[in-house]
Amino acid sequence: MLKTQELALNMGPVHPSTHGVYRCVLTLDGEYIQKAVNHIGYLHRGLEKLAESRTYNQFIPYTDRLDYCSGLANELAYVMAVEKLLGIEEEIPERAQYLRVICAELQRLASHGICVGSFALDIAGSTGFFYSFRERDRVLELITRIGGNRLTPNYMRMGGVAWDLDEDFFKELKQLMDEFPAYLDEYDGLLTGNEILQTRSIGVAPVSKEMALSYGFTGPNLRACGVDSDLRRDEPYGIYDRFKFDVPVCKNGDTFDRFCMRIREMRESVKIIQQALKDIPEGPVMAKVPKVIKPPVGEVFHRIENAKGHLGFHLVSDGSTKPYRTRIYSPTFVMLGAFPEMAKGTHIMDAVLILASIDIVLGEVDR
Amino acid sequence: MQILINLADGIRGWIIGMGLSDTSAEMILTAIGALGAVIFILLHVIILLLAERRVSAAFQLRRGPNRLGPLGIGQVFADVVKTLAKEDIIPAGADKFVFKIASTTLFATALLAYAVIPFGDGMIIQNLNIGIFYFIAIGSTATLSILMGGFASNNKYALIGGMRAVAQMISYEVPMVFSLLGVVMLTGSLKMSDIVMAQKDMWFIVPQFIAFFVYYIAATAEINRAPFDLAEGEQELIAGYFIEYSGIRWALFMMAEYANMVAVSAIAVTLFLGGWNAPFGLTFIPGFVWFLIKIYLMLFTFLWVRWTFPRLRIDHLMHFGWKFLIPVSLANIVVTGIGIYVYRMITG
Amino acid sequence: MFGQGLIKGLSITLSHLFDKKVTEEYPEQRPFLPPRFKGSFKLAVPKCIACGLCSNACPNHVIKVESEKDENNKKKLTGYKMMAERCLYCGFCVEACPTKALLWTKDFENAVYLREWVNLDLFNSYVPSPEDNKPEKPEKDDTQAS
Repeated sequence: MLKTQELALNMGPVHPSTHGVYRCVLTLDGEYIQKAVNHIGYLHRGLEKLAESRTYNQFIPYTDRLDYCSGLANELAYVMAVEKLLGIEEEIPERAQYLRVICAELQRLASHGICVGSFALDIAGSTGFFYSFRERDRVLELITRIGGNRLTPNYMRMGGVAWDLDEDFFKELKQLMDEFPAYLDEYDGLLTGNEILQTRSIGVAPVSKEMALSYGFTGPNLRACGVDSDLRRDEPYGIYDRFKFDVPVCKNGDTFDRFCMRIREMRESVKIIQQALKDIPEGPVMAKVPKVIKPPVGEVFHRIENAKGHLGFHLVSDGSTKPYRTRIYSPTFVMLGAFPEMAKGTHIMDAVLILASIDIVLGEVDR
Repeated sequence: MQILINLADGIRGWIIGMGLSDTSAEMILTAIGALGAVIFILLHVIILLLAERRVSAAFQLRRGPNRLGPLGIGQVFADVVKTLAKEDIIPAGADKFVFKIASTTLFATALLAYAVIPFGDGMIIQNLNIGIFYFIAIGSTATLSILMGGFASNNKYALIGGMRAVAQMISYEVPMVFSLLGVVMLTGSLKMSDIVMAQKDMWFIVPQFIAFFVYYIAATAEINRAPFDLAEGEQELIAGYFIEYSGIRWALFMMAEYANMVAVSAIAVTLFLGGWNAPFGLTFIPGFVWFLIKIYLMLFTFLWVRWTFPRLRIDHLMHFGWKFLIPVSLANIVVTGIGIYVYRMITG
Repeated sequence: MFGQGLIKGLSITLSHLFDKKVTEEYPEQRPFLPPRFKGSFKLAVPKCIACGLCSNACPNHVIKVESEKDENNKKKLTGYKMMAERCLYCGFCVEACPTKALLWTKDFENAVYLREWVNLDLFNSYVPSPEDNKPEKPEKDDTQAS
């Protein structure tokens, strides 16, 4: 009999397909993975420790940089957590609430655009990457109009949003939303309907409901496994209970389902933004909030449905202007923990695809 | 283009006039022909380098290189100069001799295939009796060079890439040969000029469209081009078997890939698309130019397919080759044989 | 039929072959910058009252304000340094300024050769311009310089 040996391969921090500086040490038998070990921490910047020496208002730009593909959504989660601590959730003006919903859904479009694009890039259909980044660039231009920067807008404040948006913004937004469904049909034609992509991703790393719930999956990855759970519908925060949208759910939980979920969710986001554009009222955009924010002693945990899952902030306040402890619950950190089990027994080319379908962003994993 | 034939006759007459024998005249003319083939390859490598980038950019809604010179022509010179000026790095534990000759042998096999391609009427370097068989035989030797490159690099990624390439290229030679057999049966000879002459009235793509389809896929797999470029799978293996090559050695790998692409297109044009015959009787354009136009059309389809489709996984690729393409090409041979027999019976 | 998705993909790519390109040819074509764009900083020294609100608002201790009291016991600005290598480009300083003296510019080409050159000295590099007259009261929504 031939004596074979297992190969230890290092998908190092510098690799074209790990989405960021992430290292995985694979043990291969031929080309099939026997064991995968995650090594993270290459992008750790100590944000939770930094939060202890910044006031509540000054920490908002830092939350932008967590999941850098969707800055406004992270700010929204943090700002809502502090508002819950202060007890001013009811006083936020209507226009600010609608603007917050528009911002969050725009970021969902941008973030899913990256997922679709980098999935296409990892499977070597790089034309799909360029097409999805064409749309993402238009969304980023809108975000520049909102905040001034493309990725770190720094727009949300406690009690509302920072400033009002002008007519040009709404005109551009309406035009983009009218053209968006055609772009999504193009992705469907080029990527989802492609038999090669379907052959490579259907049946790869299926995740059952029990495994997903026990590992703590949230967001589109959980809905791809068949569990019908969406925070925007089940525990509505802000004014999400006024919008009518479907929550797409897939059955198998394999890589193809996780990929399809993103495109379907993008369609729902477009619907929500169109409804918000119709109903947005005039009015102030900021509630009456004291200049120096000193919340009462206590703790709060608030989470929102980010593009990647449940993004949560746990704040412990001791009555001063700076938080005593800030804990950031990031969804992709949890889901990356399931990667070794998902990748076991698959081909090395599939491991890259699984990583792309979980849609990790290292800024959020490492904080 | 009669001018090239007249030039060849003129040179032959001049050499014999100088007192040398007939055979030496033939040898010198063959050497000049080989030099011409090298120049043809280098010219097309240069054109393809730029064309691939600009055409792929056009598919992806962006401009390609356009800053150096009009239409980016200066980009080619910049790339060539950059490649030649790079340091020649040989990794520490690599097998030095094998590492050094791997890229050269790949380019050499790509070059050898051009000996039997009919560029025009009477313009073949060597009109062998076993023309197409020679081409297939030379094509098989490319596998060894890729394995040498992958194995000698002392790098796990290169090793995996080299192994995959061997499996893929060996498996796809079988459907390629079977698809060409249909054309050989219709012609009755392996000689390239005979095959082109037999397509005067009707190109062989019409009776043999399934064989053309099988040949196209098998050829894409043979030259390691997307969607079958697992051996250099950029997303997992970061350049596979030529991951440790730099400078002129890497350039030889790239040149060999493009040279293979042109050679395979040329064979497809010769066997299925009529060679240098003009379609619809437009004979005022010489045959050589028609040959080039058809090659460029085939190259465009190679680029088009590359930039649209994702990559196949290795076990899907093997299943597709062994379980789908080989039965289809065998069925094609059976149907062609029956068709020839029935045709002969009908026409007596 | 097997292969239908492949053919649709090919037709989509081919239909984009002759489309208008979305590339912006950079040095010849300048990008469109919206009104709120955050590029670099500009200080209108006559308007600055050296209150230090910008320095307090900054999360990262980027701004250093130096002032002295003159004969009317009012603060006068003598030095204004920004360590832009630490700056988050968040905009709290510009929002906090009561007289709208510190403003954003649309200048995004800030690459320099040495690390020290990134830091800005907005007091010494101030160039007087006619729109820097001190207004009687600050404007409502005026955070852009140009």
